Amino acid sequence: MTYVKEGVVTIVQESRFQLTDDNGVSHLFLLDRNAAAEPAQLAPLQARQARVRVTYEPARNLIGLVARSVRLLPPSQAR
Amino acid sequence: MNMHPRALEHAYSTLDHVIPNESELTAGVRIEAGRSYGFFTDTTVCIGCKACEVACKEWNNLPADNIGLTGQSFDNTGALSANSWRHVAFVEKSGANGLRGGQDQKFQSGWLMMSDVCKHCHNAPCLEACPTGALFKTEFDTVVVQQDICNGCGYCVPACPFGVIDVSTVDGKAHKCTLCYDRLKGGLEPACAKSCPTDSIQFGELSDLQIRAAERVEHLHGIGVDSAYLYGTPGAPGATGDLGHLNAFFLLIDRPEVYNLPAAPTRPANRVAPSLATGLATVAALALASAFLFAPQRGERP
Ligand code: SF4
Ligand code: SF4
Repeated sequence: MTYVKEGVVTIVQESRFQLTDDNGVSHLFLLDRNAAAEPAQLAPLQARQARVRVTYEPARNLIGLVARSVRLLPPSQAR
Repeated sequence: MNMHPRALEHAYSTLDHVIPNESELTAGVRIEAGRSYGFFTDTTVCIGCKACEVACKEWNNLPADNIGLTGQSFDNTGALSANSWRHVAFVEKSGANGLRGGQDQKFQSGWLMMSDVCKHCHNAPCLEACPTGALFKTEFDTVVVQQDICNGCGYCVPACPFGVIDVSTVDGKAHKCTLCYDRLKGGLEPACAKSCPTDSIQFGELSDLQIRAAERVEHLHGIGVDSAYLYGTPGAPGATGDLGHLNAFFLLIDRPEVYNLPAAPTRPANRVAPSLATGLATVAALALASAFLFAPQRGERP
């Protein structure tokens, strides 16, 4: 089952990132090995404080979420 | 209380900037490229609060793993892994080798606690095994995995004599303690050492730490804790089998195995030449044996 969250990338460490949603709640994501994004692309997203849409699945035996894709939202959809 | 004179420059509780060379104020050491840094973990003053584990997870944005209860004392982390780069071991035993001997309540256990971590070996076997060059020695003499180069082959995992490095099942890459490489570059003390309330984990320049640790052992011997010794300093247990020395070393009061540390770790690379020689000798012996067995006997037609 895949879910979606939107927000701003606020912390990046290796392939792990924190997404802060519109309610100010932060979520810990781990980039999946088959994700449609590279770990090296995360740091510029954090630096730009860009809004992104993340599709994800819950992780097994981890308190974190597995990101399957990270998409930059077009400016019209950005708040 | 000894206060660094530079602390007066930063008297406000909210700051709009990072304090330059903050480690000078928190650990008494300035971090400079080209010098050798490490951890001295004095297990005799660890209280098992796990502040180091939490600080590491917070700074490195690592998820909690191994969800559930292990049934092993107060230890629910279990072991070092791709997501747990500090692990506080709880060893319940009576007496704790004279340290708290005689002071225990009846039926109350003695405790040995140790915050385990990557040892940042001088001759690091993980680095020697890595075929892509993802593992490298930093300008601070620490061992770090470059995530964009790691291909997840996992050769480093069995090469580590301490069972530290691990490949993540989520991103398929090797992960371990970086000795807070990003913080060192910014002049900050590693998060675990900064958060340790008893200074069981001390960060500093390796030569200073080794002197400090030797003095601590002497002090403990002086007050009757004869079992105190260092693990990982040059010539000591833990720095065996050509590992040189460990940049993250420990003061222990029981056998290394009690803390889940190997008594005499070795570099797997040392076994390459004997293995190769044994293999070649076996091939030669088999070739010789088959030559004798299958060679035409006298009187037999070829
Ligand atoms: S303890 Fe293991 S992972 Fe850490 S540097 Fe040594 S060999 Fe590498
Ligand atoms: S898993 Fe990564 S770090 Fe480990 S040996 Fe392979 S390439 Fe090197």
